[in-house]
Amino acid sequence: MRLVKVGIVVFPGSNCDRDMHHVLRDVFGFDVQYVWHTKTVPAGTDAVVLPGGFSYGDRLRAGAIAAHSPVMSDVRRLASEGTPVLGVCNGFQILTECGILPGALLVNESLGFMCQWTDLVVENASTPFTSMLYVGQRVPIPIANGEGRYYADEDTVRDLQRGGRVVFRYADGSVNGSVGGIAGICSDDGNVVGMMPHPERAAEYETNPVDCGPARMIFESLAGYAPVQRQRQRQISHAGRVGGGEGEARP
Amino acid sequence: MRRFIVTVVIENKQGLSDPEGETILRDLVLKEGRDEASGGGAGSNGSNESGNNGCRISEIKTAKMLRMTVDSRDAESAVRDVRKVCDALHLYNPIVSMVDITAEPSP
Amino acid sequence: MSLEQSELDYLTSRLGRIPRPAELHIVAAEWSEHCSYKSSKRHLRILPTDGPLVISEKGYDSGVLDVGGGYVVTAHIESHNHPSAVEPYGGAATGVGGVIRDILSAGTRPIAILDGLRFGNPRTDPKALWLFKNAVSGIADYGNCIGIPTVGGELEFDDSYAGYAMVDVAAIGFGKRDRLVRNHAEPGDVVVLLGGPTGRDGIGGSQFASDSLETEDRSAVQIPDPFIEKLLIEAVLEARSAGAIHAMKDLGGGGLSCAVSETADALGVGITINADAVHAREGGMSVEEIMTSESQERMLVITDGVRGLQTIREICSKFGVSHSVIGVVKRDGMMRVTSGGRRAGGGEEEEEEDVAAEMPAEVVANARLLDLPRQRPAYLDGIEGVSCAPHAQGGGGAADYTDILRRLMTSPNIASRSWVYSQYDHEVGIRTVVRPGADASVLRLDNGRYLAVSMDGNPKHCYVNPRQGAIGCFEEACRNVVCTGAAPIGMLDHLQFGDPTDPGVFWTFVESVRGISDFAREMGIPCVGGKVSLYNETPSGPIKPTPVIAVLGLVSDGGSRDGGGRADDSAMQRMLARPADGDHIIVVGSTKDEMGGSEYYEYIRGVVGGRCPAVSAAESRRNSGAILDITRRAGLSHMVHDCSKGGLAAAVSEMCLGAGLGCDVDVARVPRAHDAGAAADGTAGAPAREMPDDVTLFSESHSRYVVLVPDESLQEVEDLLARSGAVHARIGRVTRGGPGGRIILRSGGDRTVADLSVDKTRGEWSGVLGGMVHGA
Repeated sequence: MRLVKVGIVVFPGSNCDRDMHHVLRDVFGFDVQYVWHTKTVPAGTDAVVLPGGFSYGDRLRAGAIAAHSPVMSDVRRLASEGTPVLGVCNGFQILTECGILPGALLVNESLGFMCQWTDLVVENASTPFTSMLYVGQRVPIPIANGEGRYYADEDTVRDLQRGGRVVFRYADGSVNGSVGGIAGICSDDGNVVGMMPHPERAAEYETNPVDCGPARMIFESLAGYAPVQRQRQRQISHAGRVGGGEGEARP
Repeated sequence: MRRFIVTVVIENKQGLSDPEGETILRDLVLKEGRDEASGGGAGSNGSNESGNNGCRISEIKTAKMLRMTVDSRDAESAVRDVRKVCDALHLYNPIVSMVDITAEPSP
Repeated sequence: MSLEQSELDYLTSRLGRIPRPAELHIVAAEWSEHCSYKSSKRHLRILPTDGPLVISEKGYDSGVLDVGGGYVVTAHIESHNHPSAVEPYGGAATGVGGVIRDILSAGTRPIAILDGLRFGNPRTDPKALWLFKNAVSGIADYGNCIGIPTVGGELEFDDSYAGYAMVDVAAIGFGKRDRLVRNHAEPGDVVVLLGGPTGRDGIGGSQFASDSLETEDRSAVQIPDPFIEKLLIEAVLEARSAGAIHAMKDLGGGGLSCAVSETADALGVGITINADAVHAREGGMSVEEIMTSESQERMLVITDGVRGLQTIREICSKFGVSHSVIGVVKRDGMMRVTSGGRRAGGGEEEEEEDVAAEMPAEVVANARLLDLPRQRPAYLDGIEGVSCAPHAQGGGGAADYTDILRRLMTSPNIASRSWVYSQYDHEVGIRTVVRPGADASVLRLDNGRYLAVSMDGNPKHCYVNPRQGAIGCFEEACRNVVCTGAAPIGMLDHLQFGDPTDPGVFWTFVESVRGISDFAREMGIPCVGGKVSLYNETPSGPIKPTPVIAVLGLVSDGGSRDGGGRADDSAMQRMLARPADGDHIIVVGSTKDEMGGSEYYEYIRGVVGGRCPAVSAAESRRNSGAILDITRRAGLSHMVHDCSKGGLAAAVSEMCLGAGLGCDVDVARVPRAHDAGAAADGTAGAPAREMPDDVTLFSESHSRYVVLVPDESLQEVEDLLARSGAVHARIGRVTRGGPGGRIILRSGGDRTVADLSVDKTRGEWSGVLGGMVHGA
């Protein structure tokens, strides 16, 4: 068991939570805990994953109701503190709905649900989830969504591109009509990554008919990153204690 | 001939459930209104009186809306013609849905 | 909604008094054909249900099979034909929901869905495409939302379903053996209703399903709510793990009437229900309405009144699942329904607690079985004698089948199904190892084994010969499972016919059941579940006999290294292998002149009739045994595919189109036999000249497989086949794909009978269904 603690947030209607749990714990040896959406993220959690599914049945808009869940204030705080956060599919939709990541996921150009394999191209290999991939690397992976077409206005897309915040693009840019073929993006600091394809479905020999090597690196990246991150956090909080102390009021 | 904007609203017939509307009411509107009012949700009694800025919502129905631009003699015949099209092309399924069709002169 | 006079008399005599109004409604719902199987039950008893892996328990709505390592697989099949024909989106979706709850009721987690869809001929039936498109959307929206992969199924268009829809759904569950719900109840236990509120939707649905469509009852439409179903699944499984469930039953056809009477009868207890306690969608519902409503997404749970109930309340509150305590278990074997005086039609002042119904559960749950007359229908006279002349020869003697093969491969019944299954999430749950589009889908299980599932029907064969057609569907499902390297361990049968009071229709039903039963015994495959759907009538008459068979197989452990029965790497390697340029094409099994009900006769030649393909159990066993021997060894074959619709020509073409490769095949080398008897003896096939090319190419004889073998293992495979005694022949090679890649079929040396471009045909083959729906 690697000493990296990952919390999987479960909303009513999440349905890839168990798949993510299996891959994180049984395949990569993380210390994994489910976090029910009304609870708080346990202290000492090194990374948070928002799995795929149909939270609240995708009613109103995918992710729109889950974005109001109590747990999301914790996720927002951890994200701002630099904790790695990964949103997959519905998890990505929730991250955009609550504004942690920019843009929106719209109904696919085909107007229907799409379940098929595709290739991603890595554009940012310095996030906690891509540090063991290389820029330009292809990642065979499945998509499975009805509202997966990434959309943001021109200014936002330009900012994302300039800031190196496009993490993945579809090799076939027109697969679902996403602007610029964007499949995954990250936050300003890079610690929050949202992606529509499902890495947990691509990380095992049995479930990946093409090549599971690249998708495995998404999880290996986190395994390598989290301990370093924890060390860094500890130093920061230690420094904070020395410099300020608990009761200090900030202006 | 005049130009009309014909609005076709398709919704489930009375007595049939509307899961989407029910979820939006139960899991978002009522819950959020309550949470805001009680500052966190736990232990609140579900009263909606002070949430949602005092707006007392008791039911939400979803519908699909089609807005058509139609040239016709008058509003009445525009509605009648559109209804015929809706029926003929199965734009709604009369077994589960009903349509409300209204026409206004195009601005 | 009413009882026949004879049923009313029977009920009156069993009760010893005049039945009350609410009792009549309850009994009418439960004694409908849909719930009681009153016409069919007598004949279903011949199906073998025991097997070494079968676990039987009273009150299970699904079959349970022990797959080793402390795990079980559950399986069930249902249809939702009548509702889908009226409202295809909701009908198909709620069909998925219903069968999922049958899996759940044993205490197992649903892990896969298969759906069989049948509609009218889109060329002549204006409703067919609308029904098709919306049924697919309904299944997709429901299955995707609840996170259960739709991993397989079938799709067929046929004139006999004009204006109608056949939606069959099979579901597979998986769980730990020691967590199965052991249905039991003690006096004093409470009855809890979990899930969506009870409304007026779906009242009389089971009656509706038991009538033909002409008496369409619109209140029988149900609105699907997959979100509640998902919450219900999680809540029920959590309650199961907490040990809070004594007994459980899904609410389906017949609503509470059926669930309460059958549960009480199966457990040998009495149940008293307070209709007023049921959480309802709308006020003012009568006892009759509450007891017969078929509102979806509801489960009935029996638990103890103290700790169990407390646990269930907490779990329901966590998931936001509404629930109500609606009754109590008694010792007396009575089904009793009380209410606080809201009885419909009640004139005078009611008492505080009015007893609306009080009947022995055993009486309610067991309709008097019918023994309907049956007679061989006249249409069968001479139907197997029909034949048509061989396809006209071209000028030079060699008939050209290029265009015919292209038309067959792009016919709606043979073309690629990817337009359908790409709308289904077929990977959620990350168990799917072999995906839809293959012969059978394969799921990995937590005990290291693999489960293969396939569902097959063939109404064209069944129309021509109800007995052989049904056996053929069964053998085809077995073949498909065998292609993946799995040995069949159980089957589900779904028997769909027209009005059973028509003696001709009923004769075809009984013939089918007998055929299935005989073959099941012969092959030692137990029937672990099934369903009967009757009164499937369209304005132009009954549907063709439509038995649909689902077969489950377990990938065997031959040659495994750890000896613990785990599937070894060779199974995985076999499943992940891909056809390659240069592979040898070997056909196993003999081709007979059996063109009756073939796609070639019906779709290309417009002929109904001819000799129906017949299964020889000996040949079936020998050929499938040989294929399992091959698939057990890593690297021996790159692919195995069965021959079914469209015959050998379609099977070879499908392999090529799926892989984007070409082939060069000589059909004169295909082993042929006069009939199944000759093939069973292993006697030599008829000389090539006696069988016209179109028969060799398109006959749909059973027990045949196409195997792709790489050069290096050719010797080993041929030796193995020779030892097995299975008739086989090497008929050609796989050739390159890409630009210039061709599918070439010859008949003896240099006579080319068909020559298609791989790329062009592949584009057409994969685009047919989407093009039909989008009007391209």
